[in-house]
Amino acid sequence: MSLDYVKFSNGFEKFMPKEYRDMVEHGPFGKKVTVSQMGSFKEVLEEHPMCAGCAMTLFIRLAMIAFPNPEDTITVGTAGCGRLAISQAAIPFVYGNYGDQNGVASGLSRGLRLRFGDKPKDVVVMAGDGGTADIGFQQVLHSWFRKERFTTIMLDNEVYGNTGGQESGMTNRGAVLKMAPLGKKFEKMDMLQMAKVAGCAYVATVVPNNPRRVESVIKKAVLIAREVGSTYIQAYTSCNIEYAIPTDKVMEDAKTVENDRYQFTEYVSEEAKQYLTERYGYKEFLAKPAAPAAAIPGKA
Amino acid sequence: MYLVADISVEICAAKSCKLCTQYCPEANTIQYSDEMGKEQGFKYGSAYVAVDRCKGCAQCVWVCDNMAKNNAIKMIMIDQLPKAALTDNITYGEKSTTAVLASPVVG
Ligand SMILES: Cc1ncc(C[n+]2csc(CCOP(=O)(O)OP(=O)(O)O)c2C)c(N)n1
Ligand code: SF4
Ligand code: SF4
Ligand code: SF4
Repeated sequence: MSLDYVKFSNGFEKFMPKEYRDMVEHGPFGKKVTVSQMGSFKEVLEEHPMCAGCAMTLFIRLAMIAFPNPEDTITVGTAGCGRLAISQAAIPFVYGNYGDQNGVASGLSRGLRLRFGDKPKDVVVMAGDGGTADIGFQQVLHSWFRKERFTTIMLDNEVYGNTGGQESGMTNRGAVLKMAPLGKKFEKMDMLQMAKVAGCAYVATVVPNNPRRVESVIKKAVLIAREVGSTYIQAYTSCNIEYAIPTDKVMEDAKTVENDRYQFTEYVSEEAKQYLTERYGYKEFLAKPAAPAAAIPGKA
Repeated sequence: MYLVADISVEICAAKSCKLCTQYCPEANTIQYSDEMGKEQGFKYGSAYVAVDRCKGCAQCVWVCDNMAKNNAIKMIMIDQLPKAALTDNITYGEKSTTAVLASPVVG
C-alpha cells in the first residue's frame, strides 16, 4: 500500500523475473501514465486466463491504467470472469464471496481511513452484472445509501458468463441464452437510476471502444470517492462467448450497443463538481463565460 | 499451431497511430517502438506484437483496417512468422520500447 511494496528487497533483484523488474523500473508506480502512452510502459496487469478477445479484459486493462494512484489502490472483486484478470495485477486484490463485494469494500475503505487518515487509499470494486445487480444487490444499494466512499464498477456483459449463460437482471428483455432458452421475460434493470436515487455522487456509463473516455470516467469516479461519496460506473463489456460475437467483431458490437442502449451518460453531483474543480483543478465544471449577445439582424 | 498478429513495419510506420495498442485486450502485448522503421526513413516508429502474449483474437486487425484504415496487421501461423518479438527480448526505455526480433519463433 505504498511505493515501497513493489520495490525489491536488497540483494533480491537478480532473482526476480523480467516482468517484475520491468514493472518496478518502467511501471506506472509513482508517475502519471495515460492511455496515449500505452505500449511504451510496463502495465501492472499480467497474463491471465480470460477468453481471447474479451471486451471485459480490455476494460480492466484500461481501468488499471486510469487509476490515479495505482500504488495506493486496492481492488475488490467476486465470483465471475473479471476476477480472473483483476487478481493478476500488481495491485492488491481482495476476493469477496459472491455478492459480498460491496460489504467487504465498505469495511476495507473505513479501515484504511482509520489507519491512514487523510492519505488517500482508493478502493475500487469491479464485479459482473450478476454479482452487482442480482446476488450483491442489497449490499450494493446499502453501501450507496450509506455513502460509503469507494467506487463500484459493474462489468456488464448482460449475462452470467463465468457459469455458462444464465440470464441476469441486466440481460435485455427477449434475449435467448444457453441457460435461458425461452428468452428473458423482464426488462433490463435500471441500475443507473437506482444509483442516483441511492445518492451516488457520480454515475456514468461507458463502453470500452473509447479508451480515453474510460480513462477519464474512472479517474473522476476514483477521485470523487476519496471524499465526496459513492461512485458508480456501468461499463458494457460484452461476452463474446455467450453472445457468439466473433472476436474480431467485438469492437463493432460495442459500437452498435453504444448506439442502441449504452450511450455515454455522466451524472456528477454539485458537491462532486466543486470538489473536482477546487481540489484537482478540473476545468469542465466551471461556469462557461457568457456568450456574446447575438447580433441582431439588420442592426449595425 | 495457432494464429498470432503480425504488424508490417513498413505499412504501420507510415501512419503510426498507436490505436491497436489501445484496443488489444491483452496487457503489454502490442508494444510501441520509436526506432522501428527509422532505418528505412520512417519518422515515427511502429507498433509490434509480443507474440508470446497474443491470444489471436484479431481485434487489432479490425482496428487497423477499420479505425486506422491502414491494413498493417495480418494474422499468421506462429511458425510462419518471419521474425517476431517475445517478451524476453523487449527492453523498456523512457518513452518507447526496443525489441530484438527473433526468428524462427518456434524452433
Ligand atoms: C454464492 C455463490 N453462488 C454461486 C456461485 C457460482 N458462480 C460463480 S460465477 C457466477 C456468475 C457470474 O456472473 P456475473 O456476476 O454476471 O459475472 P460474469 O462471469 O458474467 O463476468 C456464479 C453464479 C458462487 N461462486 N458463489
Ligand atoms: S466467458 Fe465471456 S465474459 Fe467471460 S472471459 Fe469469456 S468472453 Fe469474457
Ligand atoms: S493501428 Fe495500424 S497503423 Fe495504427 S499503430 Fe497499429 S498497426 Fe500501426
Ligand atoms: S490478435 Fe488480439 S491479443 Fe493478439 S495482438 Fe491482436 S488484439 Fe492483441
